[in-house]
Amino acid sequence: MSCGDPDATCEDVLAEVWLFLDNECDSARRETLRRHLDECGSCLERYGIEEHLKELLHRKCGGEHAPEDLRERLRNSIRDSVLRQAEVTVERGPEGTSVEVQEKPTSPAE
Amino acid sequence: MGTPSVVTSSWRREGSPVPGTSGQLSAADDERSQDTTREAASTGEEQVEETPEERAARFERDAMPLLDQLYGAALRMTRNAADAEDLVQETYLKAYSAFKSFKQGTNLKAWLYRILTNTYINGYRKRQRQPQQQPTDEIADWQLAQAENHTSTGLRSAELEALDRLPDSDVKNALQQLGEEFRMVVYLADVEGFAYKEIAEIMATPIGTVMSRLHRGRRQLRGMLTDVARDRGFLREKNQEVSTS
Repeated sequence: MSCGDPDATCEDVLAEVWLFLDNECDSARRETLRRHLDECGSCLERYGIEEHLKELLHRKCGGEHAPEDLRERLRNSIRDSVLRQAEVTVERGPEGTSVEVQEKPTSPAE
Repeated sequence: MGTPSVVTSSWRREGSPVPGTSGQLSAADDERSQDTTREAASTGEEQVEETPEERAARFERDAMPLLDQLYGAALRMTRNAADAEDLVQETYLKAYSAFKSFKQGTNLKAWLYRILTNTYINGYRKRQRQPQQQPTDEIADWQLAQAENHTSTGLRSAELEALDRLPDSDVKNALQQLGEEFRMVVYLADVEGFAYKEIAEIMATPIGTVMSRLHRGRRQLRGMLTDVARDRGFLREKNQEVSTS
């Protein structure tokens, strides 16, 4: 089973397979591990399983869509707050909080 | 050894201030974030004064396209659509009110996820419609035992085909059953593809914690997936090469 690679034994590779998969190794280590995987069928199979599982999760649990009315609600709230902020300035200094209103607010302050 | 040389501690400082981070969490999020804004502005990185309209446009352009993803994460956190909507709405409004202090060029997606996580943990979870099940870092014994039976060594390439055939809802349900910390780390790493240091930042945990949760979460999850596949008859009993039963 061991393929005699002194820089990365099969044990090393299996211990680091997730780091490799998640792209969390530095480039030198990555190269070493990749070389091992190129030459070692059993490690490559293990790696393939891990890679497949990660991809499977991404495929099956991703891709949700936010409801359209949520998006609209957010846009409306932001639009309202743009209107508010154009008119109300909140200053916080050592003396406390003061609110400066430049024009009559058209919507209730929070 | 198998530990990465990545160190995360300084990373957090480089990011933009996050409304509602534990250090400054209070009801007065909005006011506080405006304070931070002033500080950031006075540190003098040439920051052209932005009108509220421009800021809203920038938010629309940069943050709104991430809504689907944030909603997906919120669904995995709250585990029901109504709560997820509320959580995302609160997150986006907080993010917008602090958007002035968000440094352009830093990681907006991670910043939004951080706000989402904070919003969820600090308060949201408490008034959740669906009761929380298991304690966080403690996994029930049966789950551990179950997980040990299916460390990845137990899974063979041929069996992946069985997992592929599982309906999405089965895989989502299995993910939902992971304890919260494990669930979120696995979600952020595998579904969203975040780097460990980003996950550490989002969850405000050391990178080592991210790695151990990810490992345990993945092990547990594949154990559950294997069980589901077996229950559905997509997999033969383990250790049963020949069907004598």
